[in-house]
Amino acid sequence: MNHLEFRNICKSYGSAKALDGVDLSLRGGQVHALMGENGAGKSTLIKVLAGVVHADALTAKVDGIEITLTSAQAAQRVGFRFIHQELNIVPQVSVAENMLLGRTFPRRFGLAVDWRKVNARAQDALAFLGADHINVGAPAGDLNTGDRMLMKIAAAFVFDPVTDERAVLYVLDEPTAALTSAESELLFDVIGRLAATGAAVLYVSHRIDEVLRICDSVTVLRDGQLVSSGPTSETNKAQIIRDMTGRDVADAYPTAAAAPRPNLIVGMAGVSAGPLSDITFELRAGEVIGIAGLANAGQSILLETFMGLNPITSGHAQLQGGALPRSPEHAWKRGVAYLPKERRSEGLMLNMSIRSNIALPHLTGVQASVRRERQMAETLGRQMRLKCEHLDQPVAQLSGGNQQKVLFARALHGLPDLVLLDEPTRGVDVGAKYDIYCTVREASSKGCAVLMTSSDLPELLGMCDRILVLQDGRQAHMLDCDGLSSSDLLSYFYAPKAA
Amino acid sequence: MTHTLRQSGTLLGFAAILVFLTVQLPGTFLTTQNLINITQQLSMLAVVAATMTIVMVMNDFDLSVGSMASLSGIVAAVLFSMGFPVWFGLLAALGVGLIGGLFNGFLVSVLGILPFVATLGTLTVFSGTAFLISDGKTIFGRDIPAGFSGFARAGIDINNVKVPFLTLAALAVIAVCWFVLEQTNFGRRLYAIGGNREAAYLAGIRVKRLRLVAFALTGLGAAGAGLMYAARVASANPTQGSGLMLDAIAAVFLGMTMSRYGEPRVMYTLIGVLMLGVLDNGLTQLRVDSYIREILVGLIVISAVATASFSKQTRRV
Ligand SMILES: Nc1ncnc2c1ncn2[C@@H]1O[C@H](COP(=O)(O)OP(=O)(O)OP(=O)(O)O)[C@@H](O)[C@H]1O
Ligand SMILES: [Mg+2]
Repeated sequence: MNHLEFRNICKSYGSAKALDGVDLSLRGGQVHALMGENGAGKSTLIKVLAGVVHADALTAKVDGIEITLTSAQAAQRVGFRFIHQELNIVPQVSVAENMLLGRTFPRRFGLAVDWRKVNARAQDALAFLGADHINVGAPAGDLNTGDRMLMKIAAAFVFDPVTDERAVLYVLDEPTAALTSAESELLFDVIGRLAATGAAVLYVSHRIDEVLRICDSVTVLRDGQLVSSGPTSETNKAQIIRDMTGRDVADAYPTAAAAPRPNLIVGMAGVSAGPLSDITFELRAGEVIGIAGLANAGQSILLETFMGLNPITSGHAQLQGGALPRSPEHAWKRGVAYLPKERRSEGLMLNMSIRSNIALPHLTGVQASVRRERQMAETLGRQMRLKCEHLDQPVAQLSGGNQQKVLFARALHGLPDLVLLDEPTRGVDVGAKYDIYCTVREASSKGCAVLMTSSDLPELLGMCDRILVLQDGRQAHMLDCDGLSSSDLLSYFYAPKAA
Repeated sequence: MTHTLRQSGTLLGFAAILVFLTVQLPGTFLTTQNLINITQQLSMLAVVAATMTIVMVMNDFDLSVGSMASLSGIVAAVLFSMGFPVWFGLLAALGVGLIGGLFNGFLVSVLGILPFVATLGTLTVFSGTAFLISDGKTIFGRDIPAGFSGFARAGIDINNVKVPFLTLAALAVIAVCWFVLEQTNFGRRLYAIGGNREAAYLAGIRVKRLRLVAFALTGLGAAGAGLMYAARVASANPTQGSGLMLDAIAAVFLGMTMSRYGEPRVMYTLIGVLMLGVLDNGLTQLRVDSYIREILVGLIVISAVATASFSKQTRRV
């Protein structure tokens, strides 16, 4: 069995210590979880292992033999495989090409790329994952979010005759954040099989239940420092949360403050729009409706309908007595706020400051006011416990979860009448999740209506008053959350619509 | 740390050029009169580069500015020769700039044609139009009213130094561009479009309209520069603005090497313009062949951008 030792990992960005003398010890055949709040340093640690970020100090040993991790190629050579947190794909080229990117393509006569082999290898890797419904020849841009993630994950399993015999470590950075529960199960199964081959698995996730279920041991970081490390059998959820946050956080959902108010915000009657059909519901001020279903049942598209991105073709739809907005601009003006699913491509200007990112939809008047923007960002940043050096820092330097908080701050500024949240807590740590839930509750108790999607079923049940279940774009059920369990909800994803 | 080095690299290069020219040209380079001359010589370029910055902020660019400058000079001169008053010629020429810019904006933002292709097309359209309405001839002499060309020769006395109107006009345009890009919400939105167009659109920014307006402003600036040029040389010919485009883009790129995240900023563009202008002036005085001058300018732009992107890369990974 392999034994991997990493000692005294240090990495500073300017004066900020992202990693401060962290030790990590991994054993072949075991799944090891790495946990910590947003900005604790998890992704940084992984980037150090991958050789894409240079540590200020690091001793790395595989089976007692010292190795250097100075480049991505070096990490690849010693047999480390990575699935990074951020989905960076090349949308124009095929799934197979995306999966083999950065490897040597199989060639004929040492010259022309052997496309048949390229496709076959990609196909095998997808099959290994159980995701062979993905067409390896299709442009990657055509895949939906879940399939993109599966593609990225499968890419780590592509057979490579040069290096693959020696895969000693698989590292997965929040792979399930964008997956539905069924897709996650696929992945857990694969992780089990990987560990069985004798490789070590390092697994980052904010989902504690998941970690307790599939991991053998867990290491917790806080503010770049090692807090605890040990077998999962000797710890529990509350302890992990305490280690992560340094405080006691309720791992629960804040209770709904008040009953929904009578004023109607959204009224839909028999609406069809694009792939959607039979959409019928009423959403009142202060109410939270969740949208659920299997992967790609139309959850995101339903939200986009209110941004004017998916015009309705039949039925009656109204927003506060008027027609639905025609464009995102129109929607924001009418008090509809939107938190898109893909934070990097659809949400953030990565090179711009936190302040500008939050303020963007709320700029009013001709003359810009830095003071007003800063005020806006400060209040919301504090509410969200945004971890940053200062508000003029570019968003690209924030950790994934903190980037998500920036989008949240943008959406909730100025109390919208309707807020559309597409997977709002993706990649957010427990503590911050709770803060976000409280903020959503607070907004809804002040009269904001909320439509949200989430692949985390307990989250939907904990946050929503009612849940709309979509099946292939068709509204199949409208459920009251009272007394509903996750498994009940899941069974409704398959149950045919009552006549 | 690296980015401060990256930011100051171009400035150091500029300082080196200044020192070199001061030493090589004692008594002629660093004189008030010569410096004033430089500002006048590069006033047209300053106007085009400053307004070019507006589209480059959105990651777009406009290749048609040079031929638009020629066209606007021709339009004004043709109208003058037909006996129209000066104000009318000026307004018509600026109007042509605005319409041409709007047309660019329409192609790019409404039809979705890549700016490179769209403005390459309008470059030839504008230049062809200039040839067409001028019959390919230079318009000069009595056709150009003294009220028009006199403007370029006049100035305001400040402390016994005559500051030319052209310099003042360029300063005014730069001030307006600076204000628009740095101090208004319009400018914030343009930077957001440059940062991530899709995200800006989803955050409620009217991307299409703003791109249209930005291209219109660039067209207007090009037309203004064309008028300044025609006034200065008291004539108009259908190719006289063509050198402006590459220099303007070069100036913006030089400026981008100095900004924090490599984004275009008007004030840095101005430094880029000054660099190119000073170099041009100095090398002319040193009687360096104009082809060699071109080679040098190209090499300087490349080395500035290369240093910048090199240190950026080392910072990224
Ligand atoms: N390029 C950078 N420049 C400056 N600071 C950075 C940079 N990259 C990361 N950081 C900082 O390092 C810290 C650790 O970030 P990291 O991405 O490792 O967090 P994380 O534990 O993965 O969080 P999350 O759960 O949100 O993904 C954060 O405070 C972040 O702001
Ligand atoms: Mg991370």
